[in-house]
Amino acid sequence: MSPTDCEHVLRQIELYLDGELVGFERVQIERHLGGCDPCTGHADFQRKLKDVLRAKCGCNDVPPELLERVRSMLGSPHPHP
Amino acid sequence: MARSAAAPPEDPALKDRFEREVLPILPNLYGAALRLTRNPQDAEDLVQETFLRAYRGFAGFQEGTNLRAWMYRILTNTFINTYRKKQREPITVQDDDIEDWYLYDRLGGTTVEASAESEVLEKLPDEDVQRALEALPEGFRMAVLLADVEGFSYKEIAEIMDIPIGTVMSRLHRGRKALQKALWETVRERGLVTD
Repeated sequence: MSPTDCEHVLRQIELYLDGELVGFERVQIERHLGGCDPCTGHADFQRKLKDVLRAKCGCNDVPPELLERVRSMLGSPHPHP
Repeated sequence: MARSAAAPPEDPALKDRFEREVLPILPNLYGAALRLTRNPQDAEDLVQETFLRAYRGFAGFQEGTNLRAWMYRILTNTFINTYRKKQREPITVQDDDIEDWYLYDRLGGTTVEASAESEVLEKLPDEDVQRALEALPEGFRMAVLLADVEGFSYKEIAEIMDIPIGTVMSRLHRGRKALQKALWETVRERGLVTD
């Protein structure tokens, strides 16, 4: 694996993990990752970072009064201002 | 905040569809509102205002349009028009001194209890990660939130934020670098790594 390949792959890794690469570009990255442990380590870490963000910053419990406010807005033909 | 009355869709089928398809994403929208406003009371008001505007505009919603993206666009616009005025903060990240792979390189270079570098991140309390994300300047915070937390594509983010795709990419790259630095500081404060 030439260093240029690794540089190229690491530059593209965000696009790849964000699902923005298609076709040959995607295949090229996948092929490289299949045979390059350091790049795979970087890719796994970046993917984990995304996973951690989604898991820890995603759904918060909706306060019951907010759910009530939204529901009553939907249920009432003329919600109070 | 002044609220105008919603003119609900007159078609009962449309009203049913709104309840069926929009209500389930309330938790996501509330989470996003919290990250944007950084304040539970403002977040509740922002979500309610978003639902009001969406409900009012739902009759004109084009079939085939991405409903989730449409809701986030309303949320984003409502936030910018109503809440941003209250907040004074930097508009860009200071990332000149943050190299790519900032966090990976540092976690790899320390004595980490867990076998994998990434396991350290999982040990961080939710609130710490939320605070790190909330510390990003607004435009960067929104891009990272929409991509990493909500899973929108670059094209969808560009439409939601009304910016070019190239700007989305740059904000994601720079925002993620700044986030890595903030997370590294948090990891050290928490004593999850030893130098």
